[in-house]
Amino acid sequence: MSIEVQNITKIFGNFTALKDLSLHVPTGELVALLGPSGSGKTTLLRIIAGLETADAGTVLFHGEDVENKHVRKRKVGFVFQHYALFRHMNVFENVAFGLRVRARKKRPSENEIRERVHKLLNLVQLDRMAARFPSQLSGGQRQRVALARALAVEPKVLLLDEPFGSLDARVRRELRQWLRHLHDELHITSVFVTHDQEEALEVADRVVVMNEGRVEQVGTPDEVYHHPATPFVYNFLGNVNLFHARIEKGKAYIGELAIDLPHAQPDSESAMVYVRPHLLDISRARGENGDLRARVVHINLAGSIVKVELLSEKGDTIQVEISQERFSQLLLKKHEDVYVTPKEVRIFPQDYSI
Amino acid sequence: MGISLVYLVLIVLIPLSMLFLKSATLSWGEFFSAVFSGRTLAAYKLTFGASFAAALLNAIFGFLVAWVLVRYRFPGKRLVDALVDMPFALPTAVAGISLTAIYSQNGWIGKLLVPFGIKAAFSPLGVVIALTFVGLPFVVRTLEPVLTEIDQEVEEAAASLGANRWQTFCRVIFPAVGPALFTGFALAFARALGEYGSVVFISGNMPFRTEIVPLLIMTKLEQYDYAGATAIALVMLVAAFSLLLVINLLQAWTRKRQALR
Repeated sequence: MSIEVQNITKIFGNFTALKDLSLHVPTGELVALLGPSGSGKTTLLRIIAGLETADAGTVLFHGEDVENKHVRKRKVGFVFQHYALFRHMNVFENVAFGLRVRARKKRPSENEIRERVHKLLNLVQLDRMAARFPSQLSGGQRQRVALARALAVEPKVLLLDEPFGSLDARVRRELRQWLRHLHDELHITSVFVTHDQEEALEVADRVVVMNEGRVEQVGTPDEVYHHPATPFVYNFLGNVNLFHARIEKGKAYIGELAIDLPHAQPDSESAMVYVRPHLLDISRARGENGDLRARVVHINLAGSIVKVELLSEKGDTIQVEISQERFSQLLLKKHEDVYVTPKEVRIFPQDYSI
Repeated sequence: MGISLVYLVLIVLIPLSMLFLKSATLSWGEFFSAVFSGRTLAAYKLTFGASFAAALLNAIFGFLVAWVLVRYRFPGKRLVDALVDMPFALPTAVAGISLTAIYSQNGWIGKLLVPFGIKAAFSPLGVVIALTFVGLPFVVRTLEPVLTEIDQEVEEAAASLGANRWQTFCRVIFPAVGPALFTGFALAFARALGEYGSVVFISGNMPFRTEIVPLLIMTKLEQYDYAGATAIALVMLVAAFSLLLVINLLQAWTRKRQALR
């Protein structure tokens, strides 16, 4: 079932959580709402679920306005950050809850319930834990129970609010791969909220980057990462080096360094140049276009790439990521003066501050 | 450890064991006639019945008060919060006198009840009213922390799974607060069993009708029937103790169930 959000506005007191926001989620996709805290992503998710009402705008499920439909009737599965499991019920009863509260006519028989619950518990790999209470499970297991519980009512839409937010890093990585596989199996339209860009880029079919109650960009992980539409998106997705530059006659200047602009831009005194750390190179020789002189401050060899921190002559910190191979060619040492060359840059004409 | 034991022995154990010693001066026959005379039996019935009714009322309305105090924000909330503790602090005699004034036939509320043929003060109903008053804070204060702990998200989760408000209450909220509600109920009940000050004013103290056990004990003492008084006191002691034991066992059981949460 597709979700259509049209011109939603939500105001809490004197804080505007969502400003005239529109969004389309196609059937069967796994979409991430990504943004910093306070960007309105959770509010949007809760409005879609019917746990919150919008001050203006409409939400359509498969073309049908659901404004007057209570959350009970919307057929959405909602997964909370802190699991919200029923603590006095064991795992089995938690998952069976949605089936047991159905009106008698629609309620499956006890045998059917047992079968369905065990099937779901197998799906989330927790069938052995059916008799345990939530307090006896780890965080990751609890969240899987919560997911099984949400799926038990055969929702048309699955909504997850920071589902892995309160888990430790390793479990989080495991679970998000697992969620991806689960989605590939079930193909249920899903929206999940996260502030972790890595999570969004890894799991989602489509990423919605949000900021201050607005959508900054919608696109595949590849699109938003490699072709960020706004400085905010560039900044939010991954590390980035920022340089102040001036634009003159089709070239951008950072100090001595001149960069050819891909397309013409008006002259400006206060442009911002964004460069990802892995798109910078370090060399000992000066290039033709003039380079950025900088001093090596710190070298981090742990990991698959080498992270080098440098200090430019102007006093800006520059982060560079180079391969282990390149590093061994260069034989960099601390406190050494080198030149930094950008391989690819992104220039936004206006000064932009986060 | 040693100090607390000595303290307990001095304050609780020695006075209570005196009850056993004093009662032991009675023969079995004398003991039974003191404990199970018609007048005493009527007093037990009233005390336990009225205490039970009062505790039940408190369980229901105390739940509502606790719910409102935990879930809602409204002007004067702190005032209401303080008001709940009043029965703790107020001398019970004061409460008794004011309740009598209000519920007697000429009182503000008593006047309204007369046309319905309901006599509030100087009747078993008056006893229930007084006992409800003194027991209220027990239920509210035991429920508040438990209700605070119930996340609103749990209710939202139930709703998203298709449960209506009634189902959410019965299957999610009530089971979660059930043990605490029972503890509060038992505490209010135990408190009501021992209440004396407020009841003597409102009940009218008619033997066989509105005489509670603590008053009967006082009456016996005034008649210098110390052994008879202690015998009845012993019965109350056993009742109160078993009740508190049940509360403790219940709390231990809940704690065990919640241990790993």
